[in-house]
Amino acid sequence: MPDPIPEHELDQLLGFREALPADAFVLDVMHRVRRERRSRKLILLIFGLIGGAFGAAGALLLSGPVARFFSGLPLTGTMQAVLVAVAAVAFYGWIMNEDISLDT
Amino acid sequence: MLSDLDLAARVAGSDDQAAFQQLVERHQGAIRGFLRRLLAGDHGTADDLAQETFLLAYRKIAGWKGSGTFSSWLHTIAYRQFLQFRRKHARQQVMAEPPDAGVDPGHAVDAGIMLPQLMRLVSTEERACLTLAYATGMTHPEIVEITGLPLGTVKTHISRGRQKLQQWLKDNDHSLPTAGGDPASEAKHA
Repeated sequence: MPDPIPEHELDQLLGFREALPADAFVLDVMHRVRRERRSRKLILLIFGLIGGAFGAAGALLLSGPVARFFSGLPLTGTMQAVLVAVAAVAFYGWIMNEDISLDT
Repeated sequence: MLSDLDLAARVAGSDDQAAFQQLVERHQGAIRGFLRRLLAGDHGTADDLAQETFLLAYRKIAGWKGSGTFSSWLHTIAYRQFLQFRRKHARQQVMAEPPDAGVDPGHAVDAGIMLPQLMRLVSTEERACLTLAYATGMTHPEIVEITGLPLGTVKTHISRGRQKLQQWLKDNDHSLPTAGGDPASEAKHA
């Protein structure tokens, strides 16, 4: 009957770490990362252009009614409304940029 | 040399490719080794999953808040990738095969060849716990975090896995190969 395997030998075997060649693996990973980055940019560009085109078309279509709407309003009231809108947008921007921590 | 946290912050903040490359170079050995053992020597699949792991880490790096080490975070992703792969290929029970007869009993063979064979003797969870504890030198709480298993179960898997390997080696009269490499077994798994 063979001797039992010494504990430390099994530990050493389980702790064995093969030295793996890194170059090709790292190149493959970085190649995939760059490809993903490019496709992400392309998707952003395409959807940005589509959004821009629809935005421009919408602005053109709405320019008439909007101009008519604002021409009927008193100047002071319009300025106040614009001020409130700008303040609201600034507040929203500030609150969204805050890194709110939920940790206690 | 920049820490993992600094490099990750650079990647998340300014999409620094060189910083990410450094992270890949630093951790590829551990992640590939971990997956190779989980897959009991299927090196091709292990490297594919390792690539997926790093790609996913690149996408999610902004979500890593620096709690725990970067290495344990990567190992968590790798383990999930492995579980997902196993679910997809559940029908092909390749990994449940007994050890290859190619390992000649009674002869010391290279640890790199013998280990994958031995890993087939233990369950996937035992494989994961043993590898994380011995090859990567992770602590039990870190293994709990990575595998999502309770602490008691992790300890049981480690001890049962060791017993199985020891028994098999004894029954098959295997002399253990000298594990050259970089053993991290003296680590903190106590």
